[in-house]
Amino acid sequence: MPEPLLEVKDLRVSFPTEDGVVKAVDGLSFSIQAGETLGVVGESGSGKSVSFLTVMGLINRKSAIVEGQVLFQGQDLLTLPSEELQEVRGRKIAMIFQDPMTSLHPFYRVGDQIAEAILAHEKISKKEAADRSVEMLRRVNIPRPDERARQYPHEFSGGMRQRAMIAMALSLNPDLLIADEPTTALDVTVQAQILDLVDRLQTEFNTAVALITHDLGVVAEHCDHIQVMYAGRIVEEGTGDDIYYNPMMPYTWGLMRSIPRLGAETARLTPIMGSPPSLIHLPSGCAFSPRCPYAFDLCHEEAPALLPVDGHHAAACHLSMEDRNRIVAEEVLTQS
Amino acid sequence: MLRYIIRRLIWLVFVLVVITAITYSIFFLLPGGGTDTIAQRFAGRAPRPELVQEVKIQMGLDKPIYMQFFSFTKNLFFGDQYGWPGFGKSFTLRLPMKPILLERTLVTLQLALGAAVMWLCIGIPIGVLSALRPRSLFDRFAMIFALVGISIPVFVLGAIGLYALVYKTHLLPGTGYYSIFEYGFQPWFSHFLLPWFVLSLLYAAFYARLSRANLLEVMGEDYMRTARSKGLTERRVIVHHGLRASMTPLVTVFGLDLAGLMAGAIITERIFNIPGIGDLAIKSIGSQDVYAILDVTLVAAFIITFANLVVDIVYAFLDPRVRYE
Amino acid sequence: MGFVKRRTIVALASVVVLALVAAACGGSSTSGASSSSGGAPIKGGTIREELQEFGWTSGFDPTGEYLGTAWSLYDQMIMRGLMTYNHRGGDEGGNIPVPDIATGPPTVSADELTYEFELKTGVMFGPPVYREVTSADILYSFARINTASLSALYGNYYCGTITGMTCDKDKVDTNIEGIETPDATHITFHLDQPTGDFLYRLAMPATKAIPEEVAKCFTKAGDYGPYLISSSAYMFMGSEDLDITSCDTMEPISGYDVQKGMTLVRNPNYDPATDSTEIREANIDGLQQAINTNYDDIFQRLLDGQIDVAAGTPPKGVLLKFETDPQYANWLHADPGDRTWYITMNLFAAPFDDVHVRRAVNLAFNKEGVRKAYGGEKRGDIATSVEPPTVLPQSVDINPYPANTGEGNNDAAMEEMKQSRYDLNKDGICNDGGACDNILFLGRNIDPWPEMDQVAMASLGTILPGLTLREVDTTTGYTTLQQMKKLVPISSVPGWGKDYASPFGFDYYIFHSDGIYSCTGSSNYSLVGLGKDLADSCGIGAEYDAYVQNNGDVPSIDAKMAECVAKPADEVNPCFAELDTYLMETAVPWVPWVWANNWTSVNPTVSTYVFDQFGNTISYINSAVNNGLAPENVA
Repeated sequence: MPEPLLEVKDLRVSFPTEDGVVKAVDGLSFSIQAGETLGVVGESGSGKSVSFLTVMGLINRKSAIVEGQVLFQGQDLLTLPSEELQEVRGRKIAMIFQDPMTSLHPFYRVGDQIAEAILAHEKISKKEAADRSVEMLRRVNIPRPDERARQYPHEFSGGMRQRAMIAMALSLNPDLLIADEPTTALDVTVQAQILDLVDRLQTEFNTAVALITHDLGVVAEHCDHIQVMYAGRIVEEGTGDDIYYNPMMPYTWGLMRSIPRLGAETARLTPIMGSPPSLIHLPSGCAFSPRCPYAFDLCHEEAPALLPVDGHHAAACHLSMEDRNRIVAEEVLTQS
Repeated sequence: MLRYIIRRLIWLVFVLVVITAITYSIFFLLPGGGTDTIAQRFAGRAPRPELVQEVKIQMGLDKPIYMQFFSFTKNLFFGDQYGWPGFGKSFTLRLPMKPILLERTLVTLQLALGAAVMWLCIGIPIGVLSALRPRSLFDRFAMIFALVGISIPVFVLGAIGLYALVYKTHLLPGTGYYSIFEYGFQPWFSHFLLPWFVLSLLYAAFYARLSRANLLEVMGEDYMRTARSKGLTERRVIVHHGLRASMTPLVTVFGLDLAGLMAGAIITERIFNIPGIGDLAIKSIGSQDVYAILDVTLVAAFIITFANLVVDIVYAFLDPRVRYE
Repeated sequence: MGFVKRRTIVALASVVVLALVAAACGGSSTSGASSSSGGAPIKGGTIREELQEFGWTSGFDPTGEYLGTAWSLYDQMIMRGLMTYNHRGGDEGGNIPVPDIATGPPTVSADELTYEFELKTGVMFGPPVYREVTSADILYSFARINTASLSALYGNYYCGTITGMTCDKDKVDTNIEGIETPDATHITFHLDQPTGDFLYRLAMPATKAIPEEVAKCFTKAGDYGPYLISSSAYMFMGSEDLDITSCDTMEPISGYDVQKGMTLVRNPNYDPATDSTEIREANIDGLQQAINTNYDDIFQRLLDGQIDVAAGTPPKGVLLKFETDPQYANWLHADPGDRTWYITMNLFAAPFDDVHVRRAVNLAFNKEGVRKAYGGEKRGDIATSVEPPTVLPQSVDINPYPANTGEGNNDAAMEEMKQSRYDLNKDGICNDGGACDNILFLGRNIDPWPEMDQVAMASLGTILPGLTLREVDTTTGYTTLQQMKKLVPISSVPGWGKDYASPFGFDYYIFHSDGIYSCTGSSNYSLVGLGKDLADSCGIGAEYDAYVQNNGDVPSIDAKMAECVAKPADEVNPCFAELDTYLMETAVPWVPWVWANNWTSVNPTVSTYVFDQFGNTISYINSAVNNGLAPENVA
């Protein structure tokens, strides 16, 4: 395999607070290949956002303890001096955020905000940068892009704003685009459009994408590889087929069961019992064990390692493979 | 926008008329007032009825109150024998009010603007630096300074300032207003320095707290995170994205503070013997000089209402989300 | 209004002088009317004074202006008329009118109805009116007094006295029946009735020379002030720049700005040969009065030597310095102010409608204590009668309540109270259950009245336990006292000073029934001599009837005053002494507590200090200053 674009090794991020140390990311390791789409799934507090904010260097190093390595194209971003990190940010790695309304500066025109990103990294004239922003807006299918570029964010609709964010993020042709819950704040119909757009642009720009979401349905169609995170760790990873048709971890089962399906017989959704753990006082052993219906003694004592199921599929669970297969066949897949 | 401005200007006129009506009511309809009492004040210590009557005629107090009100309002908007706007005549000073108001407004303007420059230059940098280093030693000292500045009454500060810098050490020349045209830069400046400082301390403290709070809040906004994610330098993020957003609300506050100050920095003017609008207000009220009081009130009301309008318009230019139709 | 036999004008003057000398020696604790560092007074320099505001009543227009500080400036420095004063202390004759533009005393007809004056020549108006003062200029002043729109606030001294003067003309008209100007150096007055103090009235600033060519442009009260033309030793700085070619070209003289201050410089046209250094030494080159709104700052600048004179009560810290620090021993001058501070009682407000109550108050009142709170002995002598001895010399002998040796005598007061009908159980305390409760005592809320009022209340607290103190600002106090319907029972608000130093002029406004002008305007707050009709129309008819029913006629001095002014000159003052005795013993409208001094603080730069008894201010015209400043150079 060629060298991965991004390789995260045993990343730990904790925040000391008055109430204790919040372990937001607790030993995270993964990699993204060039041009690949990685889906990162988890609830709030799973560490999915924090981990990528750390990759971007947007975590305040004065208020957080960061350990581990974030290797991007061979360089450890965590040890990079800030001027060099500024070079990488925006140009090589770009990020778009959940709420495009608050993520764009309300006082500046959209076109100017895109041009600003370009001008921060390339020595071109303002006019050229402005032209390129208009071009980017066109490429994200915003009609009449030259007019729109002169407008302010509040004059855009929700979907259009997100398109503009995407345009801004891709304006420098980054190698990696991190999309942190890009569709959560949007209508369902608009969601699909945005995701299709990302797909298309990814191909056009040959960008790797990390798609962070809590919505399993979103990652299903658009990702090459999916990792499920819980309490700051990966608890299962694999291809879409692996996760959907052969989930190997009780948390994933819970997620699958809670997906609303059209034409389901039961009117009620099946949630996962309990609530997400406190990141200050993590449960001993497997972080999911308090909520796991199949937990046994070992689960409460020892955290399970992420062990391969096959070449591209791994899960962290103490249950034996036979037990897991049986449970999948009997209980999980019969739900559809 | 133009229609909006016109609507606001009409409202301004309406406000002035209402204020005139209220002031008239206070003077003439409340107990303790009335044309007799007022006229008698200007008839010396042996107020014989014929003297009082003559005063009433010369002050226009012999007509029914509603007629006085109409004629005053008409003169105000259309001018009287002393010019436009028709501010009438002061009965204590026996002079037309218009030149007095003009001159004193300009003096108070010098006081207010100088203090404004000072408090912006002191307060905002302190607030911004505190926000950028929250809970540091600098931040703590800055907020103590803010607390002190907000708490000290102007007359205490003025008295201390005069005592320390004038009477004891003669570092500064003293009280009084020295016009720059008549006396030159040095006397004008050295006599304004202490009044500017005394006046600005309160506002500097307030603005330090305000800009600190605003900037801290803005620093946590999503668009700051976006700006950093674009790879902008931290300096650009703070100045271009952070300050722009956090200082814009200050514009509104500043406009209104300046207007309020224009309408009467009374205590400061008294302490430092500065012949401004505030001093005129006190003198007129003390001597029950009806027209002078009316005029000063109207000037103050006009400044404040007009400043409100200006501030609203400026804000519309600064914040594109705000639009008037 | 006044009646004095003709040939005794000179006798009157000499009697008054003798009496004043007697009074001055009799016991004033003042620092003397003049002090000097020895040697001839220094010539030159500029007196610099600061004050919070001028406070003019009439815009510094001499026709109407009714403020003593203005009168000092007019009479000493800027204007000359038929008569003037010598601008010195009372013990040097400062309260006696002397001829100014008049060559000498007038020729008075046998029936005392005609006064003929001869005028000096060579008395010049200052720039820009470069001509001699004539009788026409004196006549013009009277024509202005006679005009309603010019609001001559003391016009009543002339209208009703000089034939043809009614003070209600609708324009300035120099045709006055009772004033003749046969030529430029002669003027004759015809009076309706003999008026013994007529010379005092001809010394008042409203009668001084005013040039028609300038003043004709200013026919509303107060307008002429900024254009005042000098006929005396000093003028507004910048007078020469006044363009008098027409009314439209005139701009206010630059040396006077009512908001900023006034600078007086020498009138280049003044000829000292037409004057006397007894009256005007004119040592200084100029006077500057500047406005400073910060009272403490004024006195700091005095201590610093940036100004030379400051009038009024020094701030506490400065006063302490003056009183205790030997370095500042002679800075504060206390001179007789021709003024009485008093407690006024309303004859128609229970329980003060009973004379025994009023007498009891006079016995109980702690005058020494109140004076101490006011500022101590330097404030003036304890008053035992209504007029200061500088106005009526006999006042020192009028003391109907000797049992009150100064600090109040509760025993004597209670004995007196027992005789009143408000003391039902005869225990010496007012306790009729109705009128004795919640008696309003109206005081002032500015320093040092709160302290004074406390002492007053305490001293009266035994006989009048129902007194309730309410303190207001000075203006409100005076206004409230004048509202007849309010019937304010007792008050410490007012003081009264002379217009000119004749007992008639002092007593007339405050005790004659004429001093009650309307239901809301009065200078006779006690309502002595109030008539039934006026009482009814102002809504206190019931109280009036009650008074008459309980006590008999309302006390009045109208008849006695008419009698006194008709007496021969040497009997006038003794007659007024009887009148004042009647007031203090029988009518008892007041408790006078101090014959007040005037306080002026001066820096030792004032090398010679002289007091002007008429204006009750420092005599700028006869004092000297050693700062050598030229008036145009004072900032």
